[in-house]
Amino acid sequence: MISTLLKRELKVARRNWIGLAIPLLFFIIVVSLFPFAVSPEAPMLQKLAPGVIWVAALLSMLLSLEQFYRSDFQDGSLEQLLLMSSPTSVAISKIFAHWLLTGLPLVILSPLLGLLMQINYGFEHINHTWVLMLSLMLGTPTLCLLGAVGMSLTLAANRNGLLVSILIIPLYVPVLIFGASTVTASLESLRYNGELAILGAFLMIAIVFAPFASGRALKISVG
Amino acid sequence: MPSLSSMSQSQDIQFDGLYAHELTVSRSENVLLEDAELHLAPATITYLYGENGTGKTSLMRCLTGLLQPDDGKIYWNKKPINHPESGYFQDLIFLAHSLSMKNELTIAENLTFYAQLRCGGSYNNKELQADISQVLTDLGIGGLEGRMFAELSAGQQHKVALARLMLEPAKIWILDEPFVNLDQKTRGWLAAKTLEFKAQGGVVLFTSHHHIDELPVDQKVGVEHE
Repeated sequence: MISTLLKRELKVARRNWIGLAIPLLFFIIVVSLFPFAVSPEAPMLQKLAPGVIWVAALLSMLLSLEQFYRSDFQDGSLEQLLLMSSPTSVAISKIFAHWLLTGLPLVILSPLLGLLMQINYGFEHINHTWVLMLSLMLGTPTLCLLGAVGMSLTLAANRNGLLVSILIIPLYVPVLIFGASTVTASLESLRYNGELAILGAFLMIAIVFAPFASGRALKISVG
Repeated sequence: MPSLSSMSQSQDIQFDGLYAHELTVSRSENVLLEDAELHLAPATITYLYGENGTGKTSLMRCLTGLLQPDDGKIYWNKKPINHPESGYFQDLIFLAHSLSMKNELTIAENLTFYAQLRCGGSYNNKELQADISQVLTDLGIGGLEGRMFAELSAGQQHKVALARLMLEPAKIWILDEPFVNLDQKTRGWLAAKTLEFKAQGGVVLFTSHHHIDELPVDQKVGVEHE
């Protein structure tokens, strides 16, 4: 059942790729403007890199939330999905598809932006790009899961984009803190296992609770 | 002396089909129904009528389990509809006002998705595609399987939604205004298929603003303001 839902999500997304490209483009543009605005000096950019890349990734995820359940809610197919399968499996397949289409591309693009922000400057043997990718790999699914809960709670409200941002940003902050500090620790040649472990713990907690919470909230929004 | 609440225990329900007991439904503090009883027996067609805004759609959504009633219980073959053993959601097709089709998918993809979701893995894709072609031909939109849903006219889109009734096995149809937007020929087709479904023991509940001459009904239920 989940694979049927997932296939449909991906097919719809493929035909509607421009909507998904915009948050990605936003991610690239925001980060690439920093060398122009701040200073093209490598040490300076390197110091800013973790924060800038992580903030841009978070905002890009927030931007893409708008298309989470919205179109299914408007054309009535969300109702049919809830009638024909369990709310939790609807939420799981939506979240997974959404991460594949918005979170994973961020992870894949991040080495390019790391290069732009001179993340490896002055280090010959240590590659910080992997740390950056790893932190995003663990962090972006959590952002997706939390965003799904926010979106499903506010579906019935008009213009819910702003409302979701206000609701969700406080929950995003811990992920941002540990995500960016993982990379910072690596840049300072410190151990970053602890930060990664906490990011992983956030993800585990979110995986367990968020699909269930989002499913329940969908039922309420539709009713 | 059994109290009233014990009367509504599932073992006391004697009715097959869909049975709503002491149903109270309200929307935004407006009480639409109070202590309503409704029984849709197998092999019957029920016509739900009432003016705009009286709560026909809310009642239907309640009967599908999408809207939680304030009070009362709904049973399918003597089991509460949310009970896993009732199998209600397997048996139900609910066609709402919104057509529930994705603009980004073709007609065949939309219909295949719903059929797959209902049948799980147990379907034969080749047969399903043949069935889809057949139903679309019957509806007068044959050959359009590969067209995007968004490219169709409103009437054609409505026909695609109706095609689901023929493609998914079910025991109860709940149809919100199925005859709206349809040409004479398709109205006849839908009426004939509804009677066929009834003959197989199906339960049908539909709303309409006009009397449908082609479709003799067994039961009329009115929703009215006080």
